[in-house]
Amino acid sequence: MTYLFIIIYAISLIYFAFAERVKKFVWLLVIQGLILFGMVYFSLKEIEIFDLIFILTETIVVKSIVVPWFLNRVRKHNSLKRIHEPSVPVFYSVIIIMLTLIISFLLSNNISDSKMHTQFLTVAFASIIYGLYFIIIHKNIFSHVVGYLIIENGIFMLSLAVGNTMPMMVNLAVLLDVVMGILVLGVFMNKVGNAFQTDEVNQLTELKD
Amino acid sequence: MYLLFIILSIVISLSIFLFKKKNVTTILSMVFLASLVFTSSYAYLNINKTDNIFFRYDSLGVLLSFVLTILSLTTFYFSRNYLKKFDYNSRNVSIYYAALIMLITALLSAYFSNNIAVLWVSIEATSLFVSILVFFDRSKVALEASWKYLFVSSIGIAVAFVGILLLSISASNNGFTDLSFETLINAVGNIDTLWLKISILLIITGFSVKLSVFPLYAVAVDAKTIAPSPISALMSTVLVNAGFVAIFRTYTVIAHTEIVAWAQNVLFIVGLFSIFIASIQLLRVKRLKRTFAFSTMEHMGIVAIGLAVGGIGYYAVILHIVLHSFVKAGLFYQINQIHTTFKSKWIDNFSGYFKINPLAGITMLIGLICITAIPPSGLFVSEFLIFKALFLGHRYIIAIAALILLTVIMYVILTKIFLGVLYGNVPDKIETHKPNYLEHIIQIGFFGLVMYLGINPPEFFIDLINNSIAILN
Repeated sequence: MTYLFIIIYAISLIYFAFAERVKKFVWLLVIQGLILFGMVYFSLKEIEIFDLIFILTETIVVKSIVVPWFLNRVRKHNSLKRIHEPSVPVFYSVIIIMLTLIISFLLSNNISDSKMHTQFLTVAFASIIYGLYFIIIHKNIFSHVVGYLIIENGIFMLSLAVGNTMPMMVNLAVLLDVVMGILVLGVFMNKVGNAFQTDEVNQLTELKD
Repeated sequence: MYLLFIILSIVISLSIFLFKKKNVTTILSMVFLASLVFTSSYAYLNINKTDNIFFRYDSLGVLLSFVLTILSLTTFYFSRNYLKKFDYNSRNVSIYYAALIMLITALLSAYFSNNIAVLWVSIEATSLFVSILVFFDRSKVALEASWKYLFVSSIGIAVAFVGILLLSISASNNGFTDLSFETLINAVGNIDTLWLKISILLIITGFSVKLSVFPLYAVAVDAKTIAPSPISALMSTVLVNAGFVAIFRTYTVIAHTEIVAWAQNVLFIVGLFSIFIASIQLLRVKRLKRTFAFSTMEHMGIVAIGLAVGGIGYYAVILHIVLHSFVKAGLFYQINQIHTTFKSKWIDNFSGYFKINPLAGITMLIGLICITAIPPSGLFVSEFLIFKALFLGHRYIIAIAALILLTVIMYVILTKIFLGVLYGNVPDKIETHKPNYLEHIIQIGFFGLVMYLGINPPEFFIDLINNSIAILN
């Protein structure tokens, strides 16, 4: 079952390369949240039941409900519909995500241990690298936050690899979501949109000497 | 005991935020400062003891907690004057103090963390509170600075977390189930060197945003330029020290492994690039606070080089961190007075400061002597020791490159500020204010302390430094 989730997650990453509508980004993040929920449910079997319930609740509430809800609110508030053309054509982005997945697969093959769920590493690295790439090719603040959330999802998966021996690391990964994700999204992003009347990063140039 | 301090700080911070009353804020701030003094003293009296499983009062933590306590006391005083001058509403003031208290608490937690995950959480928390404080005056430029700081810090912290996760995966591979520094030191011997190198590289990259060094230095410089001056003082000193603690403790984990030579090369690159970028940027900067923000980057570059070279460099690095904190805090406090006098933030608008306010001019002059490491500044001693270690270690090219770059930086700072700000004609329409003697006493006191600690350090201070670096030797 875990492998099915991993494959669906990899497909969702490829979908990000194709998507242009802001609404689609939000839905893809909801889907990724649900996939992560499934991964937690099927893989963290060795931890205490209380810890498992806590992590499951955090995952579904934060990743699938709260963060996408905040994003959707910001989308509506700033009337965002379509992301402007990224600086790299979609075709190249698809090739890059494919290459990232292959490199990630080869890299994670280096680690083999019976205690750990190393299968998560295959998409975790790809998610982190693709998130960074996503931020670089887009000039829009909204896309930057989406890129950041893709990185966070990758980090969360990475933490699942040691989830059974160190559940604290999974909790910390969720904490990263709660504190940074919600604050970055909910508070500052809205304010930037209001104050600068723009969602383009290259318009934020007041700091230069 | 330490958990009690954290709980008390959260309660005080929340109360200040909720009540929004001036008297309540003043009383609770004093209670917080008293508890901070008590906690630092308690840590010193219980040195090398563990406080629950996550915190330990080691020598480095105690030393930096003293610096934090002293600078917190003065920053509260300067903040009071700063906020009074601009007449902010009670809501903004309560947010300011509530965030400041939480920032100091997070910093102290970072210093005393005995677990790399707890250290990471503490440093993550500092990003949050710094962003709130940078955004304090609600201007467009403050919003841009806080947005960029928060976003890039988040990326940096996420990168550091990936490094910690890789380390935990490797440790877990070898049967270790906790992430205390002692456990990691024992675990790294069995970890595959490739994974260890990747995780160390990610941790250094991630925490570079806090240490204000290459590669993720830019947003920290912007934030220091825009933040209220008392906050810039904290960001350039105790926050940078938290970044140092993170990198220092990570370095101690690998200090006795076969990858230490590789890690030293990484730190040399980080240090040299930081000094190089700072020297280039200093030629271009037009704002006084930005000048000193890049000066912080230069000093942290020297610290990275000192840590990499080892030997006497270790002692010099800790000395440098402590002395730099006092000099830079004093200078940022003084910058606030310059901004008030000239009603501007741009260096081109400053001149004749000596004639306008001789006492402030002398204070600034002493600060400049200290920050450029001209004797009798204590920073001269620490930099001298770092270069001595470089030459003794046959790192001639690094030493000569760093010396050339430092000469450029010294030239730029002295011509831009010494000649440009202190001398020259007094601009029109300058209102002279009655000097606040206590502010000057604090600043000159800090500069005097830097000279004293550099030239004639007391025995307990030397012991604390030597115990901090004992694990590396």
